[in-house]
This record gives sequence, structure tokens and C-alpha cells, in this order.
Amino acid sequence: MAGNQTPKQSGASGANEGWAAVGYLISGIAVWGFVGWLIDEWLNAGGIITGIGCVLGAAGGIYLVVKRLGA
Amino acid sequence: MSGLVLAEVPFPPSVDDIFPPSLWESAPEWLTKFSLFLWLAVAVVLIYFLVSYRDPKIVPTKKQWLAESIYGFVREGVAKDVIGHEGLRFAPYLASLFCFILVGNIFSIVPLIQVSPNAHIAFPAVLALSTYGLYLYQGFKKHGFVGYLKHATVLPAPWFMQPLLLPIEALQAFILQPVTLALRLFANMFAGHMLLLVFTLGGFALLNAESLFLKPVALVSWAMTIALTFFELLIAALQAYVFTLLTANYLAGTLAEEH
Repeated sequence: MAGNQTPKQSGASGANEGWAAVGYLISGIAVWGFVGWLIDEWLNAGGIITGIGCVLGAAGGIYLVVKRLGA
Repeated sequence: MSGLVLAEVPFPPSVDDIFPPSLWESAPEWLTKFSLFLWLAVAVVLIYFLVSYRDPKIVPTKKQWLAESIYGFVREGVAKDVIGHEGLRFAPYLASLFCFILVGNIFSIVPLIQVSPNAHIAFPAVLALSTYGLYLYQGFKKHGFVGYLKHATVLPAPWFMQPLLLPIEALQAFILQPVTLALRLFANMFAGHMLLLVFTLGGFALLNAESLFLKPVALVSWAMTIALTFFELLIAALQAYVFTLLTANYLAGTLAEEH
């Protein structure tokens, strides 16, 4: 629930970055997972490529979080 | 199951119950409980601010002090903090957004109203759309059409990372941001409404239970309703704040100079 997401440090900035980080992670996995799923359907690879896509997307998402929000 | 109260409450509630009929027989279809509460929320905010600023004093009255603190809080705490000095021109928009959502959300625990217009996806969706339109417009105005698309999606990274990152950034900036903005508010208010409903109706269900041992448990259920009502107040304020904050945050991202 959102009840425990009250920003603690210096008013606004904490909550902002939290939401942004979660957003990047999820969109990374969603985009590349979806692309992987499409390729999966096309090649009938049985889910392997969806998994690879998700992992790649998560990596991209983490990269974005570090790049955009890190230090 | 018997009992007068239960007779009027549809039990178990279904999806149709969130789409109530028009207020009276011959009323137009759009004139439902929700649109009435929407107008009520607008009226409350409008009249409160008009009345408290009608005769402003240098030493403010209590009413004027409260109105000034709310506006000051959004202006300093959100607009200035998040966007910076440039953000002051958005303070009126952010403050209206905050007040309207706050009043609408608090309707979810006001006796006799007890449901927030924001528990209906249409209303948060329109609010999120107006924010979306605003930050797209500001972005296009500041960076130009192609410039803004680039600004929103391309960031300094090695060239071989770009194909991996571009779709993620695009999805985030142009689809996920407005959608989650609307969904977050809607889901919080809807879930809060459901929670209160479950414990209230659950109390009646337990009271009408066959087993004698289950009847006293109804009291626990109603005690939970009271506790969750206070929790709902917290969520109402928090979600109004988060919506305003994220709107400011998106605007800040749009207006930022090249990274």
C-alpha cells in the first residue's frame, strides 16, 4: 500500500526518485519482455526468449536508474 | 440473511454498483452520484478560497491563514522545491489540483457521501490527461517537437546501449507516466472504498451468522472499519500530495536543460 511511502528526506525529492526508479525497472522489463515474447511466438522457442528479454530489460532499467538518478 | 439494513445493501456488491443510476428517474444519464460529488468538490474548493480571500487582511484571519498555508505549501513545497524558480508559474495549477483531489478524496470518509469521485477511473484519468497535455505542451514549446522527443528519450550513454534504452525511455515518458498517474489515484481510492465496505458489510454478515460464536466478531469487524477510516484519511491526503508532486516532477523533467 502507499501508506508507507511517505517521503522522509527533504520533503519532495525522496518520493519522486522512488517512483521514477520503480517506473524504469518495470518499463524495462515490460518493453523487452514483450519484444522477447513476440519473438517467442514467432519462433516457438517456448519461453526462453521472453526470459532473456525480461533480464535484458531489467538490466536496461537498472542502467537507466543508475544513470538518471544515481549521484 | 435478514435484517433491515441488509435489505437495502446489494450483497455481495458487484461491478455494477460502482456505476450507479441517475439521481432520479428522468435525470439525464450522466447526472449520477459521482458527478454530483464532483461538482460539490469543485464548489467547496471554489467557495472556500473566494470567501477567505474576499477581504484579505495583513494579519490574516484563521480562514485566510489556512488558505494561505495550503497555497504556500504547494507553491514553496512543491512548485519551487521540485521545479525550481521557473516552477512558480505552475503553482496555481498545482494548488488547484491538490485542493480538488484532497477534497474529492476526503469525500470517501465523509458520512453520507462515503465514496470519492476519484474512485471512478474517469475522473483521475481526466486529471492525468490534463497533466499529460500540460507537460507535453511545455516540452514542445521549450525544445521544439523533435527536440522534445529527443530530450525525453535520449540520454548520454554509449551508442550500443541506446537501442536497449530508447524504447524503455519512450514507454516511460509517453505512456507509463500518465497512465500510472491516473491508476495510482484511482486504485488507492477504490481500494480504500472496498476495504471500508468489506468490513462494514462483513460486520452485518457476521451478526446474521448462524453460529452464536460468530456474532460478537461483528464488533471486531466494525472496530476495524473505524480504524481503517482514519487510515483512509491518511491515504486521501497522501495521494493528493503524491499526484501533485508527480505532476511537478514530470514538469521539471520536461523543462530541464539538456542533461
